[in-house]
Amino acid sequence: MAGIADKMARNQKQIAISEFFEKNKHFLGFDTLQRSIITAVKEAVDNSLDACEEARILPEIQIKISKLDAKKNILELTSEDNGPGIPQKSIEKVFGQLLFGSRFHAIRQSRGQQGIGITGVVMYSQLTTGKPTSVLSKVANDETTVSVNIGLDTRKNKAIKSDQDRIIWKNDDDTLKEHGLRVTTRMKAKYQRGRQSVYQYLRMTSIVNPHAEITFVDPDGEVHHWPRVTERLPGKVDAIKPHPHGIELGQLQRMCKESSDSRMTVFLRQNFSGVSMRAAKELCEAAELDITTKPKSLKPDHIRALLETFQGERLFSGKAVKLLAPPTNCLSPIEEMLIKKGLSKTIDSKFITTMTRIPTVSNGNPFQVEVGLIFGEGMPGDKHVEILRFANRVPLMYQQGGCLLTKAIESVDWRQYGLEQAGGKGVPKGPAAILVHLASTNVQFTSEAKEALSDNEIVFEEARKAMLEMGRGLRKHLEKKKKMAKTREKFELINDILPAIAEKSATILDRPIPNLSGSITRIMSAVICNELTTWNAETKQVDVDITLFNYTARARSYSLLINWPEKEGAVMDRNERGGRKEAMGIWGWKLETLESGEFAKINYSLSGLEKGDWTETEVFFRGSQDVIGATKLDEKMLDEIRRQEEILANNESEGFVSDQTTQTTLIGGAE
Amino acid sequence: MMARVNDAELTRERLHAVVEEMYDRIIKGEPPTMTLPVRTKNNIGFDKKLGVFKYGKKRSIRDATSLGSAKNLLRALHVVEFIEEMIDAGKSSTLREMYYISEGWGLGKFSNQNESNNLAEDLEVVTTCLREDFKLRPEEDGARMIGNVTVNELNRRGQWMRINARDDVGDSGYGVPYNVEIEKIQLVEHDVKFLMAIETGGMFDRLIENGFDEDYNCGLIHLKGQPARSTRRIIKRMNEEWDLPVVVFLDGDPWSFRIFASIAYGAIKTAHISEYLATPSASYLGITADDILAYDLPADDLSKKDIEALNAELSDPRFADGWWQDQINMMLEIGKKAEQQSLAKYGLDFVTDTYLPEKLGEMGLI
Repeated sequence: MAGIADKMARNQKQIAISEFFEKNKHFLGFDTLQRSIITAVKEAVDNSLDACEEARILPEIQIKISKLDAKKNILELTSEDNGPGIPQKSIEKVFGQLLFGSRFHAIRQSRGQQGIGITGVVMYSQLTTGKPTSVLSKVANDETTVSVNIGLDTRKNKAIKSDQDRIIWKNDDDTLKEHGLRVTTRMKAKYQRGRQSVYQYLRMTSIVNPHAEITFVDPDGEVHHWPRVTERLPGKVDAIKPHPHGIELGQLQRMCKESSDSRMTVFLRQNFSGVSMRAAKELCEAAELDITTKPKSLKPDHIRALLETFQGERLFSGKAVKLLAPPTNCLSPIEEMLIKKGLSKTIDSKFITTMTRIPTVSNGNPFQVEVGLIFGEGMPGDKHVEILRFANRVPLMYQQGGCLLTKAIESVDWRQYGLEQAGGKGVPKGPAAILVHLASTNVQFTSEAKEALSDNEIVFEEARKAMLEMGRGLRKHLEKKKKMAKTREKFELINDILPAIAEKSATILDRPIPNLSGSITRIMSAVICNELTTWNAETKQVDVDITLFNYTARARSYSLLINWPEKEGAVMDRNERGGRKEAMGIWGWKLETLESGEFAKINYSLSGLEKGDWTETEVFFRGSQDVIGATKLDEKMLDEIRRQEEILANNESEGFVSDQTTQTTLIGGAE
Repeated sequence: MMARVNDAELTRERLHAVVEEMYDRIIKGEPPTMTLPVRTKNNIGFDKKLGVFKYGKKRSIRDATSLGSAKNLLRALHVVEFIEEMIDAGKSSTLREMYYISEGWGLGKFSNQNESNNLAEDLEVVTTCLREDFKLRPEEDGARMIGNVTVNELNRRGQWMRINARDDVGDSGYGVPYNVEIEKIQLVEHDVKFLMAIETGGMFDRLIENGFDEDYNCGLIHLKGQPARSTRRIIKRMNEEWDLPVVVFLDGDPWSFRIFASIAYGAIKTAHISEYLATPSASYLGITADDILAYDLPADDLSKKDIEALNAELSDPRFADGWWQDQINMMLEIGKKAEQQSLAKYGLDFVTDTYLPEKLGEMGLI
């Protein structure tokens, strides 16, 4: 994403900054009054989240928008966080310089890929209102807070500080603010509601940042609050060096020019990922470069040759030079459980399925796709499902139709999974929302506006695969729901209606009320399993209640097995029946023989979880007669799960990263 | 055969048989059931002795293995109990009143009036009693009648009133009550040559305005669409007791064919009492498919539903004879249907001056 910065750097000297801004306001995010306020909030929030992440602080962010002059469309935006604050000497750099913090060598997943950051907000504010932006900044080590107004010298492209002072910053409860930043700015902008709004942006941000606490006061004074649902900060992302497969000519030229390495092999091994000593030598040979050449002295033709070798167009002994894949630990996926938490705090629903694919590489860029699907009564059933797109935890709110992630959703025939979709193509309809997140070191957008991801076959396939897998989860859930509704009806029949028929007919005929057990067995004529997984707000536990009824004419014996989120750290509690661990996340009980008409109950609770983490328990059985409401256990699958578990255990001891998808896949396949 | 109206003991006995079926199944350790004739066109057949269409031998068993049918059985029990209470108390109620009374029946309450109407009919079919035996009245509108026909009707004060349907009535004619049985209506005398049953109010009024009943010496009966039981019953009585020919004048579309079938052959829903309601000698006057062509009547295209209905009629045993098959096939072929009032194309008097005389002449009635 250095392209824009480059362009800007080149252009700056020639044109006045306001002219530059006017010309580029589209990709800077200030092209309409409605969008400007969203962009401003976005820049402020992105900065806060990034700063907190780097300082390992759990973010608390407050956004307030008020109307200063409704006729002239002047809004005031205040954004406050509990981040590390900015040291006094850096404030003007952060707020008043276009190209602060350029780090094109380091490649990693980061939020701040949009526009020119908070400087753009300061500039827009000044251009539309003539007013500077006020900043309060408190760092932990200082006693006092910096208060300063930042404007821009539009000819010199420099910040103008004014009214600088040091003050005491107190919280509402009169305690001293420990650290944080508050930015107040006025701008010509229009606040609107709907799919493209500040509200929606913050809502989406809170979904993918479940560790953040976000409060928003809208211009009507209404307070929206998205609480923190996990104390866990996103994993620290390591910067990685660029991989030869993903590099562009300009970047390579720059790297060579700035290199102080003495020889090519050192340059290649130290500035790129995936290049071994052997590979460095082979690259040089294929590019017809002497390994002792200084990179700084490379001619344009040499650099082009090197690039061609990178891309496999020049060969080493008849083959493209083999490179190692780039490391993928530079990515920070949100992870399934946290997507679940994020989604369930903003949308009330019964069913959520999520899926984090393992990291993959496209053109030397590591990437990872995550998806989530939430389904339930709270959402409108006759409208298109809501699509929540994210790139590196940044919500994408515009150009939905042109985005790769949307296309992946549209390519799936959702009808087979229980959603409506005209012709099996396009955005499906139904009471659902689909979340899709791309984490990547190099997100490719269709345009400078950075709102839609451009086509990439490998990324598309990954996203599509994730959708399909999620779809299967949805179908299973819906099938189960249907079955449960049927079972509920049967229970109503035998518990309420049948006794009423018996009683009424006896009354009319003036005879004794007959015994119902025979009729009940004939009506049900099945073994039925009822499972109820509920959140117990009092004990902060998930209560699971399983009942097995034998409504057949014969005695039956069974073992029941259930899945539970053992891996995610849940602890089984109050399991009075005991039973035993059958595999990681699989618990089993051998039940006593059930005579015709008898039932058995299993109760346990799961602690260490939060509301929405675990909403449905799958029940498997061992036994001859089919059980309505449970799945026959596939012993081979269980063996497979155990085998995988062993492998994982071994891998972990050897320091490998475990494959997050293994377990879900196996249970899903156990039908 | 039908139970005689007002035979309370027989009614009670037959209702108890329905309850016993359920009770005995429970005693045997089986789901309770209610057995009733299949009430579709696939289970009606011509009864040679009665000359009408009746239910055949096919039986369906409603058993309590699904929630829906179990609820239906429970409702049936509540209805039986309710009927017994009315018999004991000498009261009666409308079907609609019963629907509202069911509010107090807990799990056995009806969710809409259609359900309660159907269940009353079910019980009629199973017990071969009439709903009058059950003390249940319809709200359905009886027919209007005009012509030189005299009846005695027992009024609210328990006095017999003599009414001539030409001289003692206004323009809207004599209103036929819901109960036209002998204890309520006596047919006294008449001076008409035939009876004409008419589908639409517009045509009925046209014929009256034009003095058709007097010119041609006939009785006119307004059917009001699909005729109520009492309408069919009084036509049947006049036909039988006075030996009057009956002609039926309807729109020319598939639905009118069904109206005619219910008058002449018996309706599918009430095939258990066809011999009581149907008039086998009634004949179809028009509008026929022929008429649409012969009189070049303004016609509408058949809708998808019309075509479906016509096709269904082709396999309906009541339309099995050659003339009906020809008419239905012709209508499908020309793809058109016409209303009675389309005859007005040729002026207001065309129907009374030309069309009806021609048609009645063909039928040998004038």
